[in-house]
Amino acid sequence: MDFKIARDDTWPEISFEERIGTAEFRIHERAHIVVDGDTCRGCSTRECVVACPANLFVPTSDGGILFNYENCFECGTCYLVCNKEGAISWNYPEGGYGVVFHRT
Amino acid sequence: MIAVCLKWVQPHGAADDRFAGISAADQSALELALRTAEARGDEVLAVTVGPVGAERALRDALACGATRAVRIATEPGVSSLRTATALAAEVDAADVVWCGDYSADRGSGSVPAFLAARLGIDQALGLIDIEINGNGSHIRAVRRLDGGRREVLSVTGRAVLSVEGSTARLRRAPLRSVITADAASITVRPLESPDISAADLVPYRPRARVLPAPASANALDRVRALTDTGAAPSRTETVVLEPAAAARRILDALRDWGYLT
Amino acid sequence: MSRFDADAIVVGAGPAGSCAALALARAGKNVILVERGPFAGSKNMYGGVVYPRILDELVPNWWETAPVQRWVVRRSTMILADDNAFTIDYRTPSWGRPPYNGATAYRPDFDHWLSRQAVAAGATLVTSTTVTGLLRDPAGRVNGVRTDRPDGDLSAPIVIACDGVNSFLAKEAGLYTATDAANFTVGVKETLALPRSVIEERFGVRDDHGVDIEILGGTSGVNGGGFIYTNLETVSLGVVLKLPKLTAQSKRPEEIIAGLKRHPAIAPLIEGATVQEYSAHVIPEAGLSMMPTMVTDGMLVAGDAAALCLAAGIWLEGVNFAMASGMYAGRAAAAAIDQGDVSAKGLAGYTKLLEESFVLADHRKLKDIPGLVLSDRVQQKYPGFVTSVIERVFRVDNPNPKPGLRRIVREERKRAGIKLGDLLRDGWKGMRGFG
Repeated sequence: MDFKIARDDTWPEISFEERIGTAEFRIHERAHIVVDGDTCRGCSTRECVVACPANLFVPTSDGGILFNYENCFECGTCYLVCNKEGAISWNYPEGGYGVVFHRT
Repeated sequence: MIAVCLKWVQPHGAADDRFAGISAADQSALELALRTAEARGDEVLAVTVGPVGAERALRDALACGATRAVRIATEPGVSSLRTATALAAEVDAADVVWCGDYSADRGSGSVPAFLAARLGIDQALGLIDIEINGNGSHIRAVRRLDGGRREVLSVTGRAVLSVEGSTARLRRAPLRSVITADAASITVRPLESPDISAADLVPYRPRARVLPAPASANALDRVRALTDTGAAPSRTETVVLEPAAAARRILDALRDWGYLT
Repeated sequence: MSRFDADAIVVGAGPAGSCAALALARAGKNVILVERGPFAGSKNMYGGVVYPRILDELVPNWWETAPVQRWVVRRSTMILADDNAFTIDYRTPSWGRPPYNGATAYRPDFDHWLSRQAVAAGATLVTSTTVTGLLRDPAGRVNGVRTDRPDGDLSAPIVIACDGVNSFLAKEAGLYTATDAANFTVGVKETLALPRSVIEERFGVRDDHGVDIEILGGTSGVNGGGFIYTNLETVSLGVVLKLPKLTAQSKRPEEIIAGLKRHPAIAPLIEGATVQEYSAHVIPEAGLSMMPTMVTDGMLVAGDAAALCLAAGIWLEGVNFAMASGMYAGRAAAAAIDQGDVSAKGLAGYTKLLEESFVLADHRKLKDIPGLVLSDRVQQKYPGFVTSVIERVFRVDNPNPKPGLRRIVREERKRAGIKLGDLLRDGWKGMRGFG
């Protein structure tokens, strides 16, 4: 057995990019979720930024929200926590596209 | 008749075909086969060489509009030449044979070339842009060459055309076609075993050509004389631009270099 | 065939949908099962344990073919405080023999397998097809679905919505009154790769036996819980986080997982493991209080779509409720077709089957538990209180004599800022709630 553990590194810390890279996403050219940046500019609570497990909501320097649909788990957290009516128009991706789980 | 050849690939070590599929290039080929046949009012034959799971690819093709489907039964690992020989027997009546330029696994793109040789018809490989005229009698095909060059081919006769994945997006199959394709009949034929030659067992390598040393005292010039395609050498320049202008400049450069069309 | 495409359309080939289609196909009905993923199970994740006994009715000897990782023979409940933990641990080899109890399994494997059972029974499975809405007849009765494919309308006298926790179909049909984020948690998980022998050594199991660990505390102060389950060559580790509590602070889900992994009681179990797959899903967590109306004219709802998910602390079950509710929905739909009445009244047999079975019996019995388990006191105060009591009970503080247990409890309760009345009330609620 050549399974060795370095004690100063109990489990390797990984970047978010590596983390999200462990999941498979079949990306459609059209976004299935659309975020209305203007509505988000008036939002101070930003629930989506902390809650989205895929970290898809990125605050921009001009006070808006940049949203990436590509690595979406299609879980629904964002529209459930969003307190701005109509800021997130949420749909499932076209059939066959989106996240494909393997071992979970 | 228009034919399309599809390769069903199961990822290495996968227990079943949940994660299997055809390459983006094969999907493009299927779409272009359907478009050509629609323009000509012709039929589309979809063919694969593979195990029973590969019938999924054929059913998907039937759902998208292919007229007939044939699977040549074999296990994975058959050489490109044997595959092409088996395909040739199925598609020898086709006017145009569409193929993907690479499969989802090996991706050497050798089957279309072998296929054209076996059929004794023209080939155009590595195509990135296709235009089919109104009645399907003429196909304008753009081929990517090194150094950002393009070769524009005019296809009017019989040919094997192999395309890259970005050439055409495969249409979405209508719902009822998906349901009926699930029960559609697929012709299965055994793989006739042609004699295996030595060329079948080892990859083909062209012989090295002996060239006289270019006459120049400068080493760089000699290397250029041997390898240069004649393209203008790329220059490095630093430019400071506004974001919008910078984006335009990047797009222009990518177009110049052949990454965008 | 009539003017309809099928006798019934089932939306979603998860455990509920596949069991609904299986029951309908067994009853001789023409059923189309529509799945938006490229294969059944491709969109599904969960903590990691399934209790498949309900399948005895649909797939006899299911354990011979079901794609299981490990049979759970050991169940632990861990209470985590800052740097210490108290664990209750039970094990029995009898759960490792037929007919078994729980099993760890990957959902892309398990759900795919279950969908193949439905197809083998005669159901038509259509994958890579997203249902986008309901079709209704002029009288407003549901009689089909719209999909995102060209020529994509499908008609049938009955639609069974097994479209998961977000069920846009149940919402479109008006079966839910409102959607409140407080009723949901998000489950976030890492599938951690470790060699098989290392897993078996660390968790004290052999062969195809495995462990189920539920964790209270350790979620960085966000109400919820954690879990660790052993698969053959991976360990599933994750957290379940109450949505309003998650957004009320600034730690992201993967940081909360990292905190759990660093806990001294957890770190040695997963040391050296690499993340093989990261995944997340929303869970309907509020039990009976959030459940929709189960039937309307031409339509039934089952599984997560009907909020049939039991999150009662020591019991975390969902797939079994999905399979059972799907099966009952399929049977009720078949009976309604035979009776020639697919109105809400004709489909009421479904609600009756749910009421008479564990599906609603368990939810009724445990209706107060999800709220109690996720309450602030249970989440924020009790874990530290329990572990500090245990610490003082086991600490040998010579030359000081042992304090009595009553004194320890009183002092620790005060230190934790728990009022006696609240403790007694919660204790009573728990005793009554757990039945």
